[in-house]
Amino acid sequence: MKIFQRASIYTFLTIAAIVSIFPFLWMIVSVTNKSVDVTQGRLLPGTHLVANLQKLFETVDIVPALINSTIIALISTVLTLLLASLAGYGFEMFRSRGKDIVFTILLLSMMIPFAAIMVPLYRMFGSVTNTMPLFGIDSLGAVILPTATTAFFIFFFRQNTKMFPKDLVEAGRIDGLSELGVFFRIYVPTMKTTYAAAAIITFMNSWNNYLWPLVILQSPEKRTIPLLISNLGSSYSPDYGVIMSAIVIATLPTALVFFLMQKHFVAGMMGSVKG
Amino acid sequence: MKKLFLMVLLIVGMVALAACSSGDEASSGSNSEGSSGSSGADKITAWAWDPAFNIAALNKAKEAYSGDGEYEVEIIENAQDDIIQKLNTGLSSGTTKGMPNIVLIEDYRAQSFLQAYPDAFHPLTDVINSDDFAEYKIATTSFDGEQYGLPFDSGVAGLYVRTDYLEEAGYTVEDVTNITWDEYIEVGKKVKEATGKNMLTLDPNDLAQVRMMIQTTGSWYVQEDGSTPNLADNEALAKGFETYKKMMDEDIAKIVSDWSQFVGAFNSGDVASVPTGNWITPSVKQATDQSGKWAVVPMPRLDMDGAVNASNLGGSSWYVLNVDGKEEAADFLLNTFGSNPDLYQTLVKDIGAIGTYSAAAEGDAFAVEDEFFSGQQIISDFSQWTDEIPGVNYGLHTYAIEDILVTGMQDYLNGAELSKVLENAQSQAEAQLK
Amino acid sequence: MSQQLTKKNELDLPLRHKETKRQKTNLYFRKKVGWLFVIISIIAITIFNFYPMVQAFLLSFQSGMGSNLEYVGLANWKRLFGDPTFIAALTNTSIFLLIQVPLMIVLALFLSVLLNDPTLKFKSFFRIAIFLPCVTSLVAYSVIFKYLFGVDGIINQFLVNFGFASQAVNFLADPFWAKVVIILAITWRWTGYNMIFYLSALQNVDKSIYEAARIDGANAIQQFFQITVPMLKPIILFTSITSTIGTLQIFDEVVNITNGGPGNATISISQYIYNLSFKYTPDFGYASTVSYVIVILVVILSIIQFRVAGEKK
Repeated sequence: MKIFQRASIYTFLTIAAIVSIFPFLWMIVSVTNKSVDVTQGRLLPGTHLVANLQKLFETVDIVPALINSTIIALISTVLTLLLASLAGYGFEMFRSRGKDIVFTILLLSMMIPFAAIMVPLYRMFGSVTNTMPLFGIDSLGAVILPTATTAFFIFFFRQNTKMFPKDLVEAGRIDGLSELGVFFRIYVPTMKTTYAAAAIITFMNSWNNYLWPLVILQSPEKRTIPLLISNLGSSYSPDYGVIMSAIVIATLPTALVFFLMQKHFVAGMMGSVKG
Repeated sequence: MKKLFLMVLLIVGMVALAACSSGDEASSGSNSEGSSGSSGADKITAWAWDPAFNIAALNKAKEAYSGDGEYEVEIIENAQDDIIQKLNTGLSSGTTKGMPNIVLIEDYRAQSFLQAYPDAFHPLTDVINSDDFAEYKIATTSFDGEQYGLPFDSGVAGLYVRTDYLEEAGYTVEDVTNITWDEYIEVGKKVKEATGKNMLTLDPNDLAQVRMMIQTTGSWYVQEDGSTPNLADNEALAKGFETYKKMMDEDIAKIVSDWSQFVGAFNSGDVASVPTGNWITPSVKQATDQSGKWAVVPMPRLDMDGAVNASNLGGSSWYVLNVDGKEEAADFLLNTFGSNPDLYQTLVKDIGAIGTYSAAAEGDAFAVEDEFFSGQQIISDFSQWTDEIPGVNYGLHTYAIEDILVTGMQDYLNGAELSKVLENAQSQAEAQLK
Repeated sequence: MSQQLTKKNELDLPLRHKETKRQKTNLYFRKKVGWLFVIISIIAITIFNFYPMVQAFLLSFQSGMGSNLEYVGLANWKRLFGDPTFIAALTNTSIFLLIQVPLMIVLALFLSVLLNDPTLKFKSFFRIAIFLPCVTSLVAYSVIFKYLFGVDGIINQFLVNFGFASQAVNFLADPFWAKVVIILAITWRWTGYNMIFYLSALQNVDKSIYEAARIDGANAIQQFFQITVPMLKPIILFTSITSTIGTLQIFDEVVNITNGGPGNATISISQYIYNLSFKYTPDFGYASTVSYVIVILVVILSIIQFRVAGEKK
């Protein structure tokens, strides 16, 4: 019975893994194929890897785009994690009627499709372009700010704080830590897995963010990776081998971040802190 | 408490710093002040989308510029959909910051932009002579008596055929030259019988075929005013729908659902013909192993009075935005695309781009024989057909109406009555497009 | 571990008395401190979300092409109910929501519990594999999905060869099957994403509770429903609400796989908003009205979800 259960778990997970990996593998295989083969869904590796990469690096400035995306994603991630965890902690630990109401209102901000607020947002950044060019149109500041302040992660941290053992906070206060001390010395280390999960998701969101960078960034040298890939695809005769190469290169950083962060999802970590 | 306040201050500072440092890095690069800087701009920017096509054309134009304007032209590549989003967001917010001086807009969309943002474009009426360009381009690029667009590439369509498949079915290239769509379907049936290959690809979400069909009769989704839907009593459209359904019913069409499948189908030899715009040539030639097996003939026409064997799909024109640097931008366009026949020779020779500047069509480059097409002078043929394209005003709502029609087409293919379908589409369009 | 625990509790007891006094004097102070934690986010979200949202709301009473907007009162709102495309989009989106969100939440929860088992081999591999869909590029996976579900695609070959279907099904051209494909695609892409939230939350569940349950004779299924689900309730609520928002705003999958077709069989509200703003002659006023329909729906659904989860204490 036990063995049967075990076997079915592995079978299920293996099927899930295959289904999940398949398109990813195809994406990687496609890098080695020429455009014609990609459009026909060829599943076998080809011989065009070098040619595709060569053409990619010759025709587009992928390195600056990677750098831009990395800068934006890193700043966004750090900023989001810091602000959202502070707020999530604040809303849950210092719960009051007033804060609950404010929190509910903040949740509302997630509910509108971005396309609807894009034009007013653009106008807002446009109006400060002359006085504060660092936050105006075509600045990285303008790309980061609206995406780094999101109720999504405040909500996430607040929900996780609900499961956070409150007596740890009391203990910290007794030890004479200031409120921020409690937050940074006790809460942050204890919630490592929560931060890891949030970091993966923010990094990924920021890395893949398309619509907002598209409208707010103008000069080609500030382009992020998704914008560059969008350009590659819009030609009348797109080269899918090259597009796939760009896509794979663009995907690796997020996969890497996930790989590094998921190590924190080891069962029992909380137990040791709590004990 | 104080500590916390300090901390908050610190965080606010960090936010500012983070944004600043990234901003610094941003502004150290060359900035896009060309579009927003003081008047008498020393730099203008131009947006287009295809590096192998219109971006390349801009580069050629830049090289060919012979005027005495002292400004730099920065060419920026953006995907076509991206350009549309950026223009709409920028223009509707009333912020001209970051907008280009010159922008390429697809003809089907031109009227939307001209009418939705009336003061955003700089008229070129006094700059170019509209008689110099293919006539069918003028209606879409002008508005309210002013010429706004400088017509660029021809979307002239042709029927790309696989000569080897035709031969197998007992046909020659002449048999498919200047035919009607009904005759085309007959050929398609034979070809399928003989070779097992489908005659063409159809994408049920894209009525480009129908659009090309109705333009052979000089008809469109809207009436001549460019905004009144013309669906219910549109004989050409009904005929187009019937033809489309017939191709489905006779099972001569391979169904595709996107561009890559469309390209994939002819690259892998799955279809015997491709009725589409001339800009597909590079994609067709991509399958080098098919060299010598292709020919291009005029588009089939609808079997109606006044229908001609010439149509159009896509095509685009240059526009100047009403921002600082507009004089320079107009000067650049006039000096290059607006008056330089040699430039068009270069465009044909090096890029394969067929312009709509009439004076250019006589040059040597147009007469060049293409090996891939068994030595056919395809450029010369295409530019000859360009002059025959019936001019129609694409008006405001091409894509909005097409989305309504796509749903209608589904109903029709599933057995609904055609007249009902079109009446339904008409009333829906009238309700939606006021 | 348990030794430490008791030690701390011993220390806690006497100290807590002192603390209560100080706490009282500091109660007022502490409330203020709480606001300091949240104030930056409140300000930022007000500037970058609420201000534009109010603008968008005002826009929903205007109509016109591009920048030629004029006030039309409630005309946009009336137009909604007579607009077949909108009704199709609303219906499709609701269908996606009702089927896809529960399916995905259950699947993600199930997977995360399996992957949290310390005795499981190849944990990292499975985790990465199941997470991969949400980093796989949309382009790649839409090509794959179209290929898999194409008339001569793998799925059809399987169905026909094994006698499940007498002839190939044109999945993407059939209104019913196209919806199924979209639901599968969304689930495929976002299950791993939600799994991460559960995996991270599961680390916060005290292992000793499971041990106690096992001693009491609870089997795996009972443990799942009696311990895991209640313990993860805050995160399940979080993922339900965010997934609801995500699915109501679904755009990428639909545009890339079926482009809303066949006909309007899979068009989503967000795709319609996009079309109204960018594909057609832009009418930002009407587009805003449609956007606010999403807002209203999410608000209602979120209230229901909060209520069901019993958040209001």
